[in-house]
Amino acid sequence: MRDWRWVFIVLLYLAISLTTESFEFRRTQRTERISGSAGDVLEDNPIGRLKVFIYELPSKYNKKILQKDPRCLTHMFAAEIYMHRFLLSSPVRTLNPEEADWFYTPVYTTCDLTPNGLPLPFKSPRMMRSAVQLISSNWPYWNRTEGADHFFIVPHDFGPCFHYQEEKAIERGILPLLERATLVQTFGQKNHVCLKDGSITIPPYAPPQKMQSHLIPPTTPRSIFVYFRGLFYDVGNDPEGGYYARGARASMWENFKDNPLFDISTEHPTTYYEDMQRAVFCLCPLGWAPWSPRLVEAVIYGCIPVIIADDIVLPFADAIPWEDIGVFVAEKDVPNLDTILTSIHVDEILRKQRVLANPSMKQAMLFPQPAQPRDAFHQILNGLARKLPHGKSVYLQSGDKFLNWTAGPVGDLKPW
Amino acid sequence: MASLERSKKKVQLWKKATVHFLLCFVMGFFTGFAPTSKASIFSSRVTMSLSSNYSPQPVKVFHQSRTQNFNRSLFDKTVSKAEHSHNSDKDQRVPEEDKRGSEELNLRGVLLRRLANTLKLVARPLLWIVVEQLSEDSEVSEILRKTGIMYRHVVFKENFTDVDSEMDHQRNIAVNHIEHHRLSGIVHFAGLSNVYDLHFFEEIRAVEAFGTWPIAKLFANKKKVTIEGPVCDFSEVVGWHLKKTNNVTDTRTTALPISSFAFNSSILWDPERWGRPSSVQDTSQNSLRFVRKEVLEEEAKVKGIPTQGCSKVLLWDLHIS
Amino acid sequence: MKQLTALQQQARRSNSFRSAASPLDAAVDGSVKSPATIFWLVLHGLCCLISLVLGFRFSRLVFFLLFATSSSPSTTTTTTIYTALRATLPSSTAAAPPPERNVSAAGDGSRVVVGRHGILIRPWPHPDPAEVMTAHRIIERVQFEQRSQYGLKSPRTVIAVTPTYVRTFQTLHLTGVMHTLINVPYDLIWIVVEAGGTTNETASLISNSGLKTIHIGFDRKMAVYWEDRHKLESKMRLHALRVVRERKLDGIVMFADDSNMHTLELFDEIQKVKWIGAVSVGILAQLGGSEENGELSIINKIDDSQKDEKSSKLPIQGPACNSSNHLVGLHTFDTRPFVDRSARYIGDRAVVLPRKLEWAVFVLNSRLFWEDMTDKPGWVKEFDDVDRDGDDVESPLSFLNDDSVVEPLGDCGRKVMVWWLRVEARADSKFPARWIIDPPLDITVPAKRTPWPDAPPELPSSVEKSITVQENTEKHSTNRGSRKKRSSKSNKKHSSTTAKVLVDDEHVSTRDSRTF
Repeated sequence: MRDWRWVFIVLLYLAISLTTESFEFRRTQRTERISGSAGDVLEDNPIGRLKVFIYELPSKYNKKILQKDPRCLTHMFAAEIYMHRFLLSSPVRTLNPEEADWFYTPVYTTCDLTPNGLPLPFKSPRMMRSAVQLISSNWPYWNRTEGADHFFIVPHDFGPCFHYQEEKAIERGILPLLERATLVQTFGQKNHVCLKDGSITIPPYAPPQKMQSHLIPPTTPRSIFVYFRGLFYDVGNDPEGGYYARGARASMWENFKDNPLFDISTEHPTTYYEDMQRAVFCLCPLGWAPWSPRLVEAVIYGCIPVIIADDIVLPFADAIPWEDIGVFVAEKDVPNLDTILTSIHVDEILRKQRVLANPSMKQAMLFPQPAQPRDAFHQILNGLARKLPHGKSVYLQSGDKFLNWTAGPVGDLKPW
Repeated sequence: MASLERSKKKVQLWKKATVHFLLCFVMGFFTGFAPTSKASIFSSRVTMSLSSNYSPQPVKVFHQSRTQNFNRSLFDKTVSKAEHSHNSDKDQRVPEEDKRGSEELNLRGVLLRRLANTLKLVARPLLWIVVEQLSEDSEVSEILRKTGIMYRHVVFKENFTDVDSEMDHQRNIAVNHIEHHRLSGIVHFAGLSNVYDLHFFEEIRAVEAFGTWPIAKLFANKKKVTIEGPVCDFSEVVGWHLKKTNNVTDTRTTALPISSFAFNSSILWDPERWGRPSSVQDTSQNSLRFVRKEVLEEEAKVKGIPTQGCSKVLLWDLHIS
Repeated sequence: MKQLTALQQQARRSNSFRSAASPLDAAVDGSVKSPATIFWLVLHGLCCLISLVLGFRFSRLVFFLLFATSSSPSTTTTTTIYTALRATLPSSTAAAPPPERNVSAAGDGSRVVVGRHGILIRPWPHPDPAEVMTAHRIIERVQFEQRSQYGLKSPRTVIAVTPTYVRTFQTLHLTGVMHTLINVPYDLIWIVVEAGGTTNETASLISNSGLKTIHIGFDRKMAVYWEDRHKLESKMRLHALRVVRERKLDGIVMFADDSNMHTLELFDEIQKVKWIGAVSVGILAQLGGSEENGELSIINKIDDSQKDEKSSKLPIQGPACNSSNHLVGLHTFDTRPFVDRSARYIGDRAVVLPRKLEWAVFVLNSRLFWEDMTDKPGWVKEFDDVDRDGDDVESPLSFLNDDSVVEPLGDCGRKVMVWWLRVEARADSKFPARWIIDPPLDITVPAKRTPWPDAPPELPSSVEKSITVQENTEKHSTNRGSRKKRSSKSNKKHSSTTAKVLVDDEHVSTRDSRTF
């Protein structure tokens, strides 16, 4: 009988380990799917897999705005302009709206800059509303789906919420007219009001020629352990501290300014790009929004990004194996950054560097002129193509109405 | 009877079985509360080395070991900071203005490379702070970048006509950087014309508050070899062998060659630790002067290097033009 | 730990289970062999297992619900379990989000907290030295990996030849070259040829390097006149090449004079050489002078191909290329404008000029000097022939029948990676042997804390201190005496080194600085 007991105990243990194992299995499977498919997905060629129709809008929605302030071409939200230009000459463009899978409305909502060059999206909702009104009255396609087969590029901090302050943005919520549309946005904060389900998260715009011109040979020895240049406190907008970057950047400064391994400062040197290329780790903490252009710079320059932004949704997360190239540190773990980074095994660091060196990662982060295969434009198209074919819910039955044209703040209803 | 007993037994059996099932269920229920990650059950090491999986418990361990190590080992493995000012050879008279530019540029690069070759061999940790006037020319950045040394290139915008005041300004900028960042370590000002014996860097790590040593000044094509610095009894400084200047009052602070002393950087940002009121600290405009004064005034805290009576020259200042 | 206790608990439970099961066992015992009972037992076990799994799943569900709603659970006991578990859970990272995240995402909406967050500052202020060292090791490894990934795959050995002799500036110059050579990331053999035979002084210097060194003596003293010295140095280099020939050293021979300065890129560049290559050498001659500095015009011997304006101001020896990167000749240094003003002997107050072509320009494949090399190119002369008329050997070009075979290196000479500079103290200048100061220096500025006769003496607290004070006082008042006392004391300390009395004829009267 003793044997039976033993058999039973063994079985019991097996059961326990199996159940935990199954959890484990599920998790590893998830990560592997991402890392395994990453290369292939980045290599995808969207040409021939979708057709995009571009609405012909009066130039006051795009070209004229740009003429007023050419700085829009260089700031980090310039993707909305370059994407338009790219689509105009792209083979995925169709002139026949009947055969189109996607409809694109070229409206530059972020191109309204303060004298300092920061975008203030106060007029954006009215502008967007006006554009939607225009396309819905001139073409039948908007009303067919109420925008479910339309995509918009809203790269600003809180994207379709159109406000630069997070609290206000959350209060406003996504512009009601865009509720059914697919959005292409830089902002990626999981479970956030301003990040729409099914949005395509893209990297911010970084000038490709400029970045190319600062490339130094890969033999240049990496001699900085951790590098960061930028604000720690935003005294102007956050005099109390603790709002900006949810306190994470301030914590970086307070804990590591005295660490010789941490080359961190607010001063922007002329050798900024070169210094990133001689750093092992580049800190990419959140600012007012979870993402920052540093993410793009780090990937381009082969510096392992240390992503400090809880619940961030990274650009092209379905195609780029962020877990393999970056290090993720929870905001509350910032005081232990030195321990975290020094306890990563050196082989792991070298592996991340090798993955980072893969040119297709870099390519997917850039919006080059002219476009090149596998660049960010193509990744956006890939994202759109993966949503095809449209489901049945996209097309409205006769009489269905989802959009409330009078919803939202009264100020937004004024004509543009 | 038999059937009754049998059924009774059967009920008992079922009861037992149910109890077992329940027990198993509860057991499963509680195991479910345990963390799921494989690492935590089977090998607690894995996640630590990955570090993106970072559990709060080990931190505490680190923290404890830190407090134990902290007192002593920080000084055992002190960071030695070598500050270098790019045109320390400038104080030589070069008559023609335009010529001076190109020649110095070349020599500066050559000497910078030579110094970098030496610093590359110094045992880590070492942080090299290089101060330069802001310029379009990226020569210094390019040279530094190729060295592989952990350095910080600090630039300033001010223009100077007087070489000496520019040099002082540069050193002050470096010192202010250390003060601002509260970097802890032993600070040494390395001039471009300096040539080092590598033992020097081992020696100055032993400095607790201040350290000083003799420096040999050599001039090309001249017979003279000048040695300046402290006179010691073992490692205790009993006097100074310095060049006398006419300005008697200021001799003590200016005559001490800049490369002939080192100090613990905490004197800059933690004066209380060294038994001085914090008010002394507001010398940020001229921290260098403050440090120099300290070296000469706090002789009791000054350690002579090398410890055997400061008798070996480990550092030369070679003037080649 | 938590898991371990959980396991133990399970073990305990299974024990209790067993004891509880014993009556059952006993009951079954009677009909132990019956297959039916076995079947029942197995079934029983299976059901137990299933209930276990079910329990586990159920607990998960409860767990998620607890986290997802974050509402206070109904019973206090669960709360404590909840908090305890929370503590043991690994902190959330995006890399491996705990499963409860997914559920909450599906559950209620935004978890983003907008508002003020605390700025976390840790209680220990400074970096852990052990971590600093780990980081440096990581950087080192990363740099090593960069070299092995992007650098040369099978580098050749570098054979550096350095003629030297003991003099005031030797320590400085030789240390400089040594530091460069230690940094070379390739195998390296350093041949040091010393004029006047090997000395301990040189030997102890180079032994610090940790390099593979061959220290050989040359039986003639270094000449005082520059003209003779250049010739002697050529012979010393030939002497080193003889060693290369005899020991069949395989690699690239370069000439690293002990006061030249090199970039580390040079060592990557010379790996490209097949037989004989030439690099550009910057001549820092105009800096060597002392007074006449300003009068010297900079000679521009560089073609139009030399685009770089900066380096064109510097006289350069080395390969000259045409616009299509083909070697057209070698830049030499035109000494004629300087003949009257150049230094003739060591310590002469004038510029030390290089020869027409310095050896430092050339790098050679060591196999050129091997005795029985079969695939040696035809244009190379026999070593012994060249060696015989050693006096006429000015540069490695003497080994060639045809100068056009020289391979230009360093972007066809555009990059300067070596600098030639000769600065020396006067030949008769004195310096402390091995740079050990003995006897000690005079005190010119008194120590502040030490009482002096003119200041009221502070009463020393300890006896030991008073002795020092007295000694110091004595030293000040009678300098000679103190020095004697001092030197005798230090003689005891360094009994091996003999005290030298060094007198400088120019500076006898000055007490301001001790001169040697």
